[in-house]
Amino acid sequence: MSAVVSALGSGLKRVFDLKLRGIRIVEIIGVVLVAVLVLSVYVAKAAAARQSASIAALEREIAENDARVRLLRAEAARLESPARLEALSRQAGLVPADANQVVPEARLPELAEPARVVVLPEGEVTR
Amino acid sequence: MSVQDPRFDLYRRAAAPALGPLWRRVVHSIWSIEHAFERARADARPEEDTRVRISLVFLLFCTVFALLAAGATWAALFRGEVPRFSGGAAVLARGDLTDRNGLLLAANLPHYAAYIDPAEVWDREHAAQEIRGALPRIPAAQLAEALYGDRRQIVATGLTPTERRQLHALGLGGLSFEAQDRRVYPLGASAAHLIGFADTGGRGVAGAELAFDDAVRAAGASGGSVPLSIDLRVQGVVEAELRQAVEDSHAEAGVAMVVDAKTGEVLGMASYPTFDPAHRDRASAGATLNRAVSAHYEMGSVFKSFVVAAGLETGAADVNTPFDASDPLMVGRRRITDHHAQNRIMTLEEVFLHSSNIGTSRLAIDMGPEVMRDFYDRFGLLRAAPIELKESAAPVPPRNWSNDTLASLSFGYAIMITPAQMVAATAALVNGGIYRPLSLRRGGAGVEGRRIISERTSATMRDLMRANVLRGSGTHADAPGLRVGGKTGSTNKFVNGRYDPAHGIGVFVGAFPADGPADARRYVVFVLIDEPRSLQRTGGIVAAPAVGRIADRIAPFVQVERRFDPASRAVAEVRP
Repeated sequence: MSAVVSALGSGLKRVFDLKLRGIRIVEIIGVVLVAVLVLSVYVAKAAAARQSASIAALEREIAENDARVRLLRAEAARLESPARLEALSRQAGLVPADANQVVPEARLPELAEPARVVVLPEGEVTR
Repeated sequence: MSVQDPRFDLYRRAAAPALGPLWRRVVHSIWSIEHAFERARADARPEEDTRVRISLVFLLFCTVFALLAAGATWAALFRGEVPRFSGGAAVLARGDLTDRNGLLLAANLPHYAAYIDPAEVWDREHAAQEIRGALPRIPAAQLAEALYGDRRQIVATGLTPTERRQLHALGLGGLSFEAQDRRVYPLGASAAHLIGFADTGGRGVAGAELAFDDAVRAAGASGGSVPLSIDLRVQGVVEAELRQAVEDSHAEAGVAMVVDAKTGEVLGMASYPTFDPAHRDRASAGATLNRAVSAHYEMGSVFKSFVVAAGLETGAADVNTPFDASDPLMVGRRRITDHHAQNRIMTLEEVFLHSSNIGTSRLAIDMGPEVMRDFYDRFGLLRAAPIELKESAAPVPPRNWSNDTLASLSFGYAIMITPAQMVAATAALVNGGIYRPLSLRRGGAGVEGRRIISERTSATMRDLMRANVLRGSGTHADAPGLRVGGKTGSTNKFVNGRYDPAHGIGVFVGAFPADGPADARRYVVFVLIDEPRSLQRTGGIVAAPAVGRIADRIAPFVQVERRFDPASRAVAEVRP
């Protein structure tokens, strides 16, 4: 058991003692790892800041569009106001539909029924 | 080792302390740690001890850094401020008011206030000219005061985005803008009375704006809206037909309402003359008064419905009970006559159809003051109309309940009520007998309502009202296929100490469809024409046609199916 532990210990020691131009490889790896970590944190932070900025811009845009939608809704409400529409309709010669112009759905077949339309050779249509 | 350095005796003694006070033990531990290295060297195992110390310190640092790393990871992953994004829905002082279908009635819209900082203005005269050119409504004096002042001052409020753009395009230094909300009523004069208005501080002042102030403000905070019971299409028809009726009869004013008899929801409410809420200061005298809930009128024969209903309900009479109207009725020294005197004995139905003052006076006096007061109270005629609007005014009740007053009450004099009271009472009369508060809230007031007459009496009243339109005084109120029922009313106003025929009122209160079961969908339509100056001024002439036209035009919106009486069916046949 102790032989295994000592073999492992000496193996580890060899690994730790590996050097490149006088500098332990383990240390070089450590430094590189730290550099990578620092860089990735920087990149992540920068990306997050960019995202935040774009979200804020979108939020602003949403707020502006919301205000615009509200304005347009108000404008639509003004344009569709019953009083205005009625005045315009009367100007155009329109009047409320007569009760006789409206039939319930159940009577539609009656209307569709005998379409006694005759088309004369000259193209004239008579009933 | 037999020889010992006597110096170490001190440490050895210290290493085996006698139990003593706490401070002594603490001092001993510090001493022991401080001199551990010497002690180890003395015991000839200095290397081991150094390693142990290094390991301990290393372990300590590892533990601390591991804890820090774990803490940092925890904080990074699970704690800290996660940026929150609103995703729209701006916070406003007041939410939108909409009709029952979501159409906009009132909204807070972004406006701007313009400020001038004179320290940053280069050429003040040029700036004044430019600003006045772009926006002439800014008063010159106020502009000059701001331009030649010594601090930043406001020069205009309520600028629309377009006006702001125009000013901004001038590219003047020292001119800045701040956003401010402003209440806007896009419909202008339409529904102005019932919508009401809010002050610049965002508080409701009148109409629904005041009645639903808390709800509107809460809706503003959550980006929502408050739907009213109004149907804008019905409202448009009600306003147009009221205006037409007022103009046709050259009247002073008018009121029209449409109410769902089953729920008490107000679908349309118009008061004429009207005003533009954006220019209230320019409104003509009395135009801002919502006559539908705030004005009192003696409404005349429309009250006969309530007297007849009371007679039927108490069993004092049925439709065939005869009433002697062959001669004028003397109540004390007062002589009561009929406008369209039949001079004969009439059944209760005929009394109603011919609007006989003599007949209803006899019935009222027969029933007595207790019953009359009870029924007028049940119909809500002695209390302000229950509706959310704060403007709802209390009636002017009769001074006493003598026979003379009972006679007057039976044909709608001696009591002044608001149109809203009349509509609420008529709704109860035709909906099977349940009195419910009127409501401007979509879905109604959410109150059970109370039974005031039986379903049977209500059904008889609907039949009588329908008969009155078919062959009584209300024939002008009929609308094709809609089975309109109703009652006319015509009174003279009390002017300068007497009832003056030159100042009259014409009323028609109707309901459609008058047939069908008690709980069928049914709508009460009310029109009152104040001081008509046309040749004929009775309710049947000045108000009834408007009720018919309103029913005719709103029927498709409220989905009342037309059903033609067999006799009139030929008219409705669709021609091939």
